[in-house]
Amino acid sequence: MIDHTVGLIDDNGKLVGTGSIAGNVLKYIAVTNENAVQGARFSQIVTALQQYLYSIKCYHSFVFTKAQYATSFSHLGFNEVARTDEAAFLESGTPNIDDFVSNIPNPYKGKNKKVAAIVMNANPFTKGHQQLVELASKENDLVYVFVVQTDASLFKTDERLNLVKQGTADFKNVLVISGGDYMVSKSTFPAYFLKSSDELITTQTQIDAHVFKNFIAPSLSITRRYLGTEPFSRTTSFYNQSLSSILNPEIEVKIINRFQANEQVITATYVRQLIKEDKLAEIASFVPNSTMQFISANKEALQTRIRKGMNINGN
Amino acid sequence: MEIKTTGVAGTLESSDIQIMISKGDDGIQIDLDSEVIKAYGDQIKKVITDTLEKYGIDNAKVKAVDKGALDCVIAARTLAAAQRATETSDRPELGVLQ
Repeated sequence: MIDHTVGLIDDNGKLVGTGSIAGNVLKYIAVTNENAVQGARFSQIVTALQQYLYSIKCYHSFVFTKAQYATSFSHLGFNEVARTDEAAFLESGTPNIDDFVSNIPNPYKGKNKKVAAIVMNANPFTKGHQQLVELASKENDLVYVFVVQTDASLFKTDERLNLVKQGTADFKNVLVISGGDYMVSKSTFPAYFLKSSDELITTQTQIDAHVFKNFIAPSLSITRRYLGTEPFSRTTSFYNQSLSSILNPEIEVKIINRFQANEQVITATYVRQLIKEDKLAEIASFVPNSTMQFISANKEALQTRIRKGMNINGN
Repeated sequence: MEIKTTGVAGTLESSDIQIMISKGDDGIQIDLDSEVIKAYGDQIKKVITDTLEKYGIDNAKVKAVDKGALDCVIAARTLAAAQRATETSDRPELGVLQ
């Protein structure tokens, strides 16, 4: 997971600081201020990490840190995007969150319309996803469907995005958009993709909820967020709790019971299991035609990914 | 002069300034972060703007994190970032600094 690590050595050859980079996230930064000007080594480490990112043409970085260290990063030009009692999430460089939201179409700004949002990984897009979008589409003037951008799932990011677009094409008031770095991404919410402790999941889901509440919702006039109940995934059920407690009352959280087919709850997890077991005929009742066609056409490729070790039991 | 990519120069260490220049379409817009912004903010922005205009850049987004840099440092870092952003670093235009 770590791409790059730097060490800072003093005149006596002693290690006095270190820091690492994973993707575009600064991690594991530690310095001793012994025999040094307060903050000087910290600045050197952060500079070195950023210069590594610049050298690979990455000009936007994140840090997820304990709340008490947020000011240290603010002094180095980081802007706080969200904070909880325990943690803070900051970013530096360009394009930032303002650029992200200003690139999203916003036809109803200031028009007092009902605008809703759904965030989904859609791995792959099922009839359950489709019915959730259909319900939101009927109950609102505009629905944003944000598709998780992080590429850590059986179905690749562009495949998931395309299947969501195809599966929602009939709903004219639905906009399908990539969730970017800010909605359930490996920057804001790594626990979604990795096995993690309850505490970590809680903190990260709270940060994700605050980012949505502070930036995404106000700039796109979103007043409702739709969620599916999650009977099976512990991470998602924590996420739903955090969203409900943080978004309400400013943003109405609607938790919708999972839809069923053949008296069985529809989940993408089960669809992935069926792909692994080569039971394609059973999949048809759980996914729309567009997803079914894609799975049939790419069965071998998907099964190869599973054989090569892609985890299909997570999210 | 056309900005082709994002260009960065400088560090976050004391007495330096880090300048990041990227494409803009609304004049030279500077987002400055400095402990001495009250006393020197206008002067820092003036040095950055003058340097960019002298180099022939009229539209750019500039993010500057100042750690107490002198004017000569600000101008040098701005020029280096501008030449990286315009992919012209192979032809240093040191005359801009005079």
